[in-house]
Amino acid sequence: MKTVRVQVLLCAGGSCISSGTQSVREAFEASLVAHDLADEVEIITTGCMGMCEVGPIAIVYPEGVFYQKVKAADAEEIVSEHLLKGRVVERLFYRKPSTQELIQAISDIDFFKLQHKIALRNCGQIDPERIQEYIAMDGYVALGKALTEMTPQGVLDEIKQSGLRGRGGAGFPTGIKWSAAAAETSDIKYVVCNADEGDPGAFMDRSILEGDPHSVLEAMSICGYAIGARQGYIYVRAEYPLAIERLEKAIVQARELGMLGTDIFGSGFDFDIEIRMGAGAFVCGEETSLMHSIEGRRGEPRPKPPFPAQKGLFDKPTVLNNVETFANVPTIIMEGAEAFAALGTEKSKGTKVFALAGDVNNTGLVEVPMGISLGAIVYDVGGGIPNEKKFKAVQIGGPSGGCIPAPYLNTPVTYESLPELGAIMGSGGLVVMNEDTCMVDLARYFLEFIAEESCGKCTPCRVGTRIMLELVTNICEGRGTMQDLDRLEELSDFIRQGSLCGLGQTAPNPVLSTLQYFRHEYIAHIQDHHCEAGVCGSMMFAPCTNACPAAVNVPAYLAYVGQERYEDALREHLKANPFPSVCGRVCPQWCIKKCRRADLEGPLAVRLVKRFMADQREDYSDLYPPKEPPNGKKVAVIGSGPAGLTAAYYLTLMGYKATVFDQQPEAGGMLRYAIPDYRLPREYVDKEIEGLERLGVEIRTNVHVGKDTTLSNLQADGYEALYLACGAGHEIKPDLPGIDLPGVYTGISFLERVAKGEDLKVGPDVVVIGGGDSAIDASRIARRRGARNITILYRRTRSEMPTNPIEIREAEVEGNQVEFLTNIGGIYARDDGRLEIEVRKMRLGAFDKTGRRRPEEIRGVAERRVVDNVIIAIGQRSDVGDILADGQGLQADRWGGVEADRKTGATAVPFIFAGGDLVSGAATVVEAIAAGQAGARAIDQYLSPGVRQNYPWEHPASPDVPVDPDQDIEDIAPVSDPLLSPEERLITLEVEKTILPWEARCEAGRCLRCDYKG
Amino acid sequence: MTVQEIVNKHGNDREHLLVILHDIQSASPDNSLHREAIDELARVMDISVADIVGTASFYTMFSLQPRGRHIIRLCESPPCYIAGEENILAALERRLGVKVGETTPDGAFTLETTSCLGACGVAPVMMVDDEVYGHLTEDDAVRIVETIATGAAA
Repeated sequence: MKTVRVQVLLCAGGSCISSGTQSVREAFEASLVAHDLADEVEIITTGCMGMCEVGPIAIVYPEGVFYQKVKAADAEEIVSEHLLKGRVVERLFYRKPSTQELIQAISDIDFFKLQHKIALRNCGQIDPERIQEYIAMDGYVALGKALTEMTPQGVLDEIKQSGLRGRGGAGFPTGIKWSAAAAETSDIKYVVCNADEGDPGAFMDRSILEGDPHSVLEAMSICGYAIGARQGYIYVRAEYPLAIERLEKAIVQARELGMLGTDIFGSGFDFDIEIRMGAGAFVCGEETSLMHSIEGRRGEPRPKPPFPAQKGLFDKPTVLNNVETFANVPTIIMEGAEAFAALGTEKSKGTKVFALAGDVNNTGLVEVPMGISLGAIVYDVGGGIPNEKKFKAVQIGGPSGGCIPAPYLNTPVTYESLPELGAIMGSGGLVVMNEDTCMVDLARYFLEFIAEESCGKCTPCRVGTRIMLELVTNICEGRGTMQDLDRLEELSDFIRQGSLCGLGQTAPNPVLSTLQYFRHEYIAHIQDHHCEAGVCGSMMFAPCTNACPAAVNVPAYLAYVGQERYEDALREHLKANPFPSVCGRVCPQWCIKKCRRADLEGPLAVRLVKRFMADQREDYSDLYPPKEPPNGKKVAVIGSGPAGLTAAYYLTLMGYKATVFDQQPEAGGMLRYAIPDYRLPREYVDKEIEGLERLGVEIRTNVHVGKDTTLSNLQADGYEALYLACGAGHEIKPDLPGIDLPGVYTGISFLERVAKGEDLKVGPDVVVIGGGDSAIDASRIARRRGARNITILYRRTRSEMPTNPIEIREAEVEGNQVEFLTNIGGIYARDDGRLEIEVRKMRLGAFDKTGRRRPEEIRGVAERRVVDNVIIAIGQRSDVGDILADGQGLQADRWGGVEADRKTGATAVPFIFAGGDLVSGAATVVEAIAAGQAGARAIDQYLSPGVRQNYPWEHPASPDVPVDPDQDIEDIAPVSDPLLSPEERLITLEVEKTILPWEARCEAGRCLRCDYKG
Repeated sequence: MTVQEIVNKHGNDREHLLVILHDIQSASPDNSLHREAIDELARVMDISVADIVGTASFYTMFSLQPRGRHIIRLCESPPCYIAGEENILAALERRLGVKVGETTPDGAFTLETTSCLGACGVAPVMMVDDEVYGHLTEDDAVRIVETIATGAAA
């Protein structure tokens, strides 16, 4: 006799089938026969399990071991290892995205754990092609109960009380719809299931039809009983052949067992169902269009009323619900309205299935209770954003929906809350987008879809969407004007008001919601011809240059390095950035986040090539762009960090006399006093500042503007414009017991004192508080000053750390520990001269405005630790009180900096400009350089209006190095970062070496030359 | 199957027009609705030719122009678009030497785009005839087409 010991469930949802379920099944069967296990192990192909991204999926019961991405070749190993010897096959386990931890059981995977399944209750659990399996899961019990124990009115009441609303998009209360049809007097009524699931990105209906078709048949029969109908239709789109096939089988089986047909359950109730197939028309998802299509006509909408409940299919009273709505019905009847209504919020009951797609770790179908926050769907169920990218927005509700950005991640997902944000629940498509998505391009894309799918009946929709598409396309291609934004809003109004059906009425939503939340992107496209995401190709020289804040011509200098033309390479770099040696050591490389080579072996090591290039020359001041003759005008720059020096550089090139004032003994600002010398040896700072001096930039150190002189004095001295770039070096000190105890340092002053050569003592045990660059730098300096046990306490988790992940890794390589979700509560002196600190445990709570989770303390679990030193590095701000005090009328911002236009540096005082960290808050060197460029341009336009149209860093051009577009791209391994071992590092100065000439040439040769337009 | 046989199979009522058109199109050698077949259908079902053409032309899946033996439908909905559908399309266009909507000179393939195929979890996706292919790379797409081409030739 056959006694089944083990069941292997193989997902045969549409997605898994496309990934090879059939061949996996065959391999399993062959392997079971070979090992003589065919009688003990049953292979069951089920409907969609939901986690499509990692399919094909196999789950081995009774233990529930979850195997992902199973290939036919893996079947033998699962059979011989797991099924025969009881050893699980770890390499096929799912990995938790945030921690990379291997997870064995399906019940431990967050994606499944956090779901609550009603509509999808049987999907992935049963073989959809066998009615017996559905019956074994209490299938058709609800129909039996309705027919034998309940009156039609009882069924209507139950559905009404459950609070079920239409899951297709509009959210109309199902009970009211049914009651309206029930109240009509007519011999003939119809039940129609809308399975024309056309919303792009939504595929829950497909999964239900393919994974649990009987739940829809059962629900339609219950509906027929409740309203007095004897005939049902399921309108399925032709794009879903598998769904049609499984529905057909299900209907045949249900008829055979008497679940459909005449006198069902001996109750005298007759009901049967037919399938109707669409033929490719999005608008047929609209109910009146759908009914026309079932009748064999053009699927165009008609005005309502009359509503389908009065006059529907073939002019008879009709109930029309979508697949997911029906799939909820049997559970409501079986378990009662109350149990269902217990889930969700006051007006949105039960659960909702979302199709999670886009830039998120776990894609697939998820069913969650109504009212769950958007953030919980993206980060908990969805596992967050892959590849260390930033979350940007979710597009929810399909083409009729809208985009919701990071500040609204705490929003509960309900029928009421989403429209308030300009989106809709829709059918449940939920596309997650990261920083690489251009919102203007996205709006263009949706308009294209809508303009294409507009059925043409209503002129505002047919013509209006075309005009909107043209306007948005113009903006994407750099031909837009600010008036276009007003026209888009006007047209949106016309289309909304002048369209008959939901498609037209909601057509403008994608534009309106992106205009609402991402207007700055539209404006950047129109005014600056800049696409921040690097998507709109026509306004981009190359993705890397587009991403670089200083717009450095990366393809050009790489190409020249590849040809050993180092002077040409440097000349190109110096047009946009006078600090190749510095940036070659510390740049976080915005460029490579958009590098197209990332899709092959990995992005280019741009910084290493840059460093190599800069190291080829001791002095490159002769390679600066040509200097114009003096124009007799004087400009004072306050602050000699990268922003101030860059502004002075360009002003000097343009013929101005630029003088830089700094209160420190030497120039360089944060380059000299904050970035540690193991990353940036001082000789390279000196080298580049000396070059600027050779050019003619005058630098006066030990002058504290605000004390030694004032802005008014400088003006009186003949400086016609002032550029304030005195940084954000003032440290934020928390209000903490013991903050002023000896042995407690703050990050920047710790780094500065070390940089100035002070022999700071640290003990063996050091704790650093913070998660930014200065916290990491301070921890590594502490080790170099003799500390042995160094722990960084950070209140959030690794993925929220604002510093470059490479720096964290290097700190860890050197032996420093990072403890996440911890914070300091107080510092106390001990009798032995050491310090005792209170370490608090944190957890991540609700989302803040930037889309990061706010840490909150877990009370009652704080612990005490004894250390020698505490370094507090939780952030910096500016402090320019003494500069502002001289009454020029400048405004301080809330961070202690100067209120100024981010783009031009203009302040409230016409001749005073400001930039760098002072305006932006603490940022990177290359951002400061970009600010210096903008400041120089603004000052030039102020002092010499209209003289210059172009500036050296603008309009990058392709290098005169030919490109062969037809050449095949070969695999070339990226150059490895020449980092010293942790032991070597502590005895030498710099932790990284310069790459070798052949390595530089080879790496430069990997550039795909995206600047080449053919 | 003849037009008459197809109508007999489904029934003569107007409501069966769409499925009848699907069957007539599948039965044609070039995946399209021929004028002669439409004339015949108009006679059999007693609907005007204009009405049949008007209905058929409303739906994107019906073609009044001859098409290839195999229809490639590349999904262009947002999940697929974000996952690089445009690159796949370009690769297919290069390989087949035709643009979207066109048929290869040998009559083997018509390249079309389609609205969502509902396999967004494995985007980008295409459907060739009734078969869905997911997690496509440019190489995959080309290889699938080549396999089908060889199979068809054999």
